[in-house]
Amino acid sequence: MKTIRRFIGLALLPICLSLYGQKLTLPVHQGAVRFAAIGDMGTGEPPQYEVASRMNAIREEFPFDFVIMLGDNIYGGNSAADFKKKFELPYKLLLDSGVKFYATLGNHDAATQKTYKPFNMGGQQYYTYKKGNVQFFALDSNYMSPQEVVWLTKELQNSNSDWKVCYFHHPLYSSGKFHGPSVELRQVLEPLFMKYGVQVVFSGHDHVYERTKPQNGIHYFIEGAAGELRKGDLKTTDITAAGYDQDQSFLLVEISGDELDFQAVSRLGVTIDQGSFSRIPDRKP
Amino acid sequence: MRNTFCVLLIVLAFSSSPRQAVAGQSGPSGTSPAKKSTIEDFGDRVNGYVRIRKDAEDFLSALSSSKDPAEIASHKIELAELIVSERANAHQGDIFTPKAAAKFREIIHKTLKGPRTQDARRTVDDKDPEKIVILRVNMVYPEDNPLQTAPPTLLARLPELPMDMGYRFIGRTFVLLDNKTRLIIDFIPDAIP
Repeated sequence: MKTIRRFIGLALLPICLSLYGQKLTLPVHQGAVRFAAIGDMGTGEPPQYEVASRMNAIREEFPFDFVIMLGDNIYGGNSAADFKKKFELPYKLLLDSGVKFYATLGNHDAATQKTYKPFNMGGQQYYTYKKGNVQFFALDSNYMSPQEVVWLTKELQNSNSDWKVCYFHHPLYSSGKFHGPSVELRQVLEPLFMKYGVQVVFSGHDHVYERTKPQNGIHYFIEGAAGELRKGDLKTTDITAAGYDQDQSFLLVEISGDELDFQAVSRLGVTIDQGSFSRIPDRKP
Repeated sequence: MRNTFCVLLIVLAFSSSPRQAVAGQSGPSGTSPAKKSTIEDFGDRVNGYVRIRKDAEDFLSALSSSKDPAEIASHKIELAELIVSERANAHQGDIFTPKAAAKFREIIHKTLKGPRTQDARRTVDDKDPEKIVILRVNMVYPEDNPLQTAPPTLLARLPELPMDMGYRFIGRTFVLLDNKTRLIIDFIPDAIP
């Protein structure tokens, strides 16, 4: 009897957590920039579809306009069937609703993905675009050539947006055991981020969720578990502000004026992290 | 015009980089004639490849973007086939000639081995499990095999390449890769010290 009760309890736990955790804490301000971040998603396996379905459901309450893709968009090949199974079908409802996707390349991605229109890369391996008072810089961390560094420096220098957000595949800080931080890349990029006032950075690669304590004034997020998952891979360190490695997840972000609000949600709809921070207005070069 | 520009960039990049001091043969201007000719020759050979690819693209009409992944995939295959047919006699060492390969090995060695090189080394060593592939010139590197990250420190020391070409490590092999087709253009075996 005890065993049966325990079994029922365990079976109901995800549903209870789901109902409890699905509460949206994001403010949904009028005119805000709202987006979702997903990384390492392109498996074509059921968890990817479940995350996509959760994203679609939550959009009724939190109408995000676009999604940033943090790389490893399509695992295991780039045939039409791969794109269908690993992108077009899982995100069909979002795509049909007009949600735009802005991709960056991971180590599993072919360079030809930059010509795939729904990824909005404009044929470039690194590119920039603006949404409201936010400028996004999508970088290619697989191949950080001197030309890319020169381009980024110039674009950051010329940016007059209040918020500068960078995203790319390899994390500069990570408590993931499998990959960990890309220290060499950090030495190249972080001085530029600091000099030109980048406030937020999103990456993937490690198949977990992690938010670090601000490093040199910059907020770093890893969301590399929107399809793949490396359960138990997160070895929290003194830089970890929050982390989750027990289920697939995605991240929601709203930027309104000088405030950024975020909420990370698991495949089952549990809120695994949430919070907000303000832009430091005087962080100018 | 573009090819001349690329050669110019390659020569400039190489002549101003720290590896000039590595060889220990610098002349008054910091560039010895022997080194310059090796790199110029490398640049010419790379540009020769780029010309072949450009001709093939012109023949097929270049694909800037498409909503249809099947179109992207078939364009890539056709482009690769055309290039390979034009380079049917290409061999390992055609672009990384023995002189160029020696120069590249020297730069790789300096970047990946020795004091304060552990971060670059970690970049190369950070890889997902991959299938072992026997590399050969003119093969398309399988798309289901991830590519290792190219260390930024190393890229800063190597001659600049034209668009859509890249230096990559595959295992311990240093590869010149065509990003558009994933064709292996040439490689230096056992390049990691």
